[in-house]
Amino acid sequence: MTAVDVRADTRPTQGHRDNSRRKAILTMVGRRVLFIVPVIVVVSAGLFAAAAISPFDPLVGYLGTRYMTTSDADKALIADQMGFDNPWYSTYWNWLQGVFTGDLGISRSFNQPVSQVISERLPWTLLLVGISLLIAILASLALGVLAGIRSGGILDKTVSGLSVVIQGLPPFVLSLGAIALFALSLGWLPVAGLTDGGAHPTPGQVIRHLVLPVTVLAISQMPWLLLAVRESVVGSKSEGFVAGAVARGIPTPTITKRHILPTSLAPFVNIVGVRLPELIVGAVLVEEVFSWPGIAGAIVSSARDLDMALLAFLTVGTTLTVMLGSLLADVLVAVLDPRVSTDG
Amino acid sequence: MKLHKPGVLTLTATAAIGALLITSCSSPTGTDSSGNDNGLVLADGYELGGYNPVAGFGAAGEAKMYDGLVRLTGGTGMPGFEPSLAAEMPTANTDATVWTVKLRDGVTFSDGSTFDAADVVATYKAILDPASASEARSSYDMISDVVAVDDSTVEFRLAYSYAPLLTKMLIGMVPSESLATPGLAAESPLNTAPVGTGPYTLVDLSPDRAVFEANENYWDGAPEIKKLTLLYVPDDNTRAQRMVSGEIDGTNLPPLLANTFSGKDNMSVTAHQSADWRGLSLPTNNPVAGDKAVRMALNLAANRQSMIDNVLGGHGRVAATPIPEVYGDSYNPNATFAYDPTEAERILTEAGWIEGADGIRSKNGQRAQFTIMYNSVDTVRRDLAQAFASDALAVGIEVDLEALSWDRIDPRINQDSTLLGGGDEPFDPDTQAYDALNSKYIAPGVGSIYDNASDYSNPAVDAGLEVGRRSLDQATRDAAYRDVQQAYVEDPGFVILVFLDHTYVSKDSDWQMSGPVLEPHSHGVTWGPWWSLQTWARGQ
Amino acid sequence: MAERRFKIALGVLIFVALYAALVPWLADVDDRVTEFSAARLAPSFDHPFGTDSAGRDLFVRIAAGIRTSLLIALACALLATVIGVAVGTTAGLVGGWVDRFVMRGTDAVNALPHLLLGIVIVAMFRGSIAAIVLSIALTHWTQVARIIRSEILSLRERPYIDAAILAGASRRHVIMRHLVPATAPQALIAVVLLLPHAVWHESTLSFLGFGLPPHKPSLGTLLEEARSSLLLGGWWTLVFPAAVLVIATVAVAVAGSALRSMLTPPRPSELRL
Repeated sequence: MTAVDVRADTRPTQGHRDNSRRKAILTMVGRRVLFIVPVIVVVSAGLFAAAAISPFDPLVGYLGTRYMTTSDADKALIADQMGFDNPWYSTYWNWLQGVFTGDLGISRSFNQPVSQVISERLPWTLLLVGISLLIAILASLALGVLAGIRSGGILDKTVSGLSVVIQGLPPFVLSLGAIALFALSLGWLPVAGLTDGGAHPTPGQVIRHLVLPVTVLAISQMPWLLLAVRESVVGSKSEGFVAGAVARGIPTPTITKRHILPTSLAPFVNIVGVRLPELIVGAVLVEEVFSWPGIAGAIVSSARDLDMALLAFLTVGTTLTVMLGSLLADVLVAVLDPRVSTDG
Repeated sequence: MKLHKPGVLTLTATAAIGALLITSCSSPTGTDSSGNDNGLVLADGYELGGYNPVAGFGAAGEAKMYDGLVRLTGGTGMPGFEPSLAAEMPTANTDATVWTVKLRDGVTFSDGSTFDAADVVATYKAILDPASASEARSSYDMISDVVAVDDSTVEFRLAYSYAPLLTKMLIGMVPSESLATPGLAAESPLNTAPVGTGPYTLVDLSPDRAVFEANENYWDGAPEIKKLTLLYVPDDNTRAQRMVSGEIDGTNLPPLLANTFSGKDNMSVTAHQSADWRGLSLPTNNPVAGDKAVRMALNLAANRQSMIDNVLGGHGRVAATPIPEVYGDSYNPNATFAYDPTEAERILTEAGWIEGADGIRSKNGQRAQFTIMYNSVDTVRRDLAQAFASDALAVGIEVDLEALSWDRIDPRINQDSTLLGGGDEPFDPDTQAYDALNSKYIAPGVGSIYDNASDYSNPAVDAGLEVGRRSLDQATRDAAYRDVQQAYVEDPGFVILVFLDHTYVSKDSDWQMSGPVLEPHSHGVTWGPWWSLQTWARGQ
Repeated sequence: MAERRFKIALGVLIFVALYAALVPWLADVDDRVTEFSAARLAPSFDHPFGTDSAGRDLFVRIAAGIRTSLLIALACALLATVIGVAVGTTAGLVGGWVDRFVMRGTDAVNALPHLLLGIVIVAMFRGSIAAIVLSIALTHWTQVARIIRSEILSLRERPYIDAAILAGASRRHVIMRHLVPATAPQALIAVVLLLPHAVWHESTLSFLGFGLPPHKPSLGTLLEEARSSLLLGGWWTLVFPAAVLVIATVAVAVAGSALRSMLTPPRPSELRL
């Protein structure tokens, strides 16, 4: 979610402008935070309502393979006991009350309290996503700047071409390819999971198992970031202040570091914010294919079983994360570039 | 212009490193040491937990934390029974309506309490109690009462003569104290904290890993394998991949995947015979599938051997009725279907199903077309369904396939064909075939909807099944079941395709593994070469 | 420059479209006929792309798969564009609080990760193609709405609109005869640019098991099958469908962006993205 336009004609003046700027940014933050609440309510209520009209029978998720051998009478008994036949708004209301009192319910697909599922799995997702994002940001900045500075060169053509191709590949194809090549054919890296079967999660184990998923996730997100940086750099190369710096005899690396890079930052942060939802989607797919025990992969299993307790929490959680993340990105952009308006 | 780049990056870097440190220290699924020489790590495609026998867990006696009154003896062929928590083999009165069991002394549960008759009574009563909503209840409905004659003797009083009651004595016993308050079996704490008399106890349980340790005080001798770790890995390919990389000691795999391991040194592929059948229901209510001529033709048109060779990689046996060859004298070798598409076509034409311009037959305006539903997550079922559809097409019958989850299959089970599996309780012809073929299950509400899913009604079959159920004389029972099979193939209600051989892959070691055993429908790593893990010893 | 890119991409696309349309029709293979004894054969003269797990020729099956995927994607893109045009036009024309409300709404929809919404919708109404189309359309109409809205906003200020109003044209006339048709180019571009996303989504949903049933060919189900075939040694089951997927989506994306460059002058805000 982005709501920032760059207007090239406003000119900053220090002092008084800084103060009102800060106020403008804070107002934007306040407005956006207020906006989050109704969105969350609508999303969660919609989820429960949709679940109610869907033909899916929650007993399937609950009983699993025993669904076939349970008699109808027993099924009716279980449904009654578990409250599967209650109207959707009453289930929703119960859930809401639970959330405010700290009781997030029991996850049927994991047979654990939701809070436990989260506390056990969230750290692994944060690890995966955090490192991937870091690598993606650093790599796309570096490569994007290099490609942009020497636009039209070999590096630029290779990197841009590869980016276009990778943009077309869904992350799960990349994952499968990576597994096929590095884990199965070459045998360099493990195939899946957090650790080798049954082993204690030591840093050594985890790092070894982290390599493929992180690489795939980072590479799958890089194209957009990289191309954006490159375009920024190419754009600013033709700007007046760069020509002026060249005319003054400042060496190219200095120009890059001191002049071009800063101006590319704001759009870059913007793009990172825009790509946040896709990063989460990438995490879901990578965790699914690599059996990484994170919370993103749990989205798929909770959707499969229509495990409302966990699914509701995850949906709300990801929405919140994305909205807060893009708010953060917008704030950073506003701070970085005073020309940017704050009426988001 | 303020440069915030270092700030943003440093922050992210610190956060990432911090997360790594925090998570390495607080390992969410932490246990003690691994790589123990006396331990095994197995990966299973079945969910962990749900360890309550009252809910039906371990009904074939395979549960490592529990013992039943009797247990299976392995070997090829039909497994026999031997006493386990019973001190000697149970005895029955002349018409098999009252069974007496003497219990073993000096056995304790993992929580310290002593095992006695009260526990047996409580367990069976809980299974039968409507308040438990136990999925196993309907298969124990021949038991009308269980009584503790004294502290070490139990009496089963049956509603009708039931010769194979031993098959109902395999299920694990739980302490009566844990059943003090009646409640839903699926909600009981026993599901995640089982208390039993068995050779292993559960020491750690999380959704993707269960750790068992040997019970040093086990009445039949402490197991030599001291630690068993079960991993829940639902995806077949991931399990296979982890097997390839050497991370696990063994797992169950679909037959084709298992076959890829047959060339590798230090890995062995084991195939256990089972009475686990796959076949199609042909509902009587379906105008095409319910037609007698169509039913017979489909049985003749299905190329079962090709399915075994190509879909099952050779790991299976041709089936005609739900009774497998391994049943010995109860099996009727003449009750088979040949692969004869020409004959199938002749039968159809003779019955009035005339081939149309597009190759599909029709009769009185009804096109020979019906739908087969199969469970989307199972690749073997998918491939069997596709192979069958191709065979049916070859004789002019059009089959549409639908991949659905069980709850979508449910409402349509009496209208459309379903690719089913059977053989949950394979240790007697009665438990194997009665629920599948008896017409009393046509009435709604009787048993599960998957019992006799074709709504098949054949009086000769019904009669034979009753004789087999009630008589105690082995020869009479065998003859009755042979008659059932003969009557069935003359007028089939299903297309029973194959009996699966369950395939497992294991890492070679110097442990002497379990021998073969006939396996039921459920086939996780509780079966396979590990079914009697507690008896393993180091070989040479 | 953009024209040349457009021509190349269009050429590739036509080639892919011919492949998708002609090969299944010419080969006339009934995909219900299986030949399990010929399963997973490597590429050869008889089977240029090898065979799949049921012995079906992959060259034909991939063509059928991309046809299904493209048709579904087209349906999604059209539906999303229709919704987006409707919403965007309303917002742009009515203005005021309706506009702000609608924009907030699109921001909200944008905030949700598309695939997640898609998974949830499809999980609940499993197995129906309508659910797949809806779930993709409902998550993608927002981009269209934004573009159409800003297009309408800028069009409103154009002199010819003023002239029409001065000449006495009714509001309805102005809207229907001038404003809406002028958004057509943008709408067309939106449809084209949405196609790769829709293909991407459908294949992901099918891969996760929520989309089309496994025996029906689509790029997603073919890739899902590849997952198991890889272990059984069949690299061709992954490489060929993936290659076709990439070629098709990249060609569409390049064509779409080239089209956009050709049809619209660059705006300051777009240069920065």
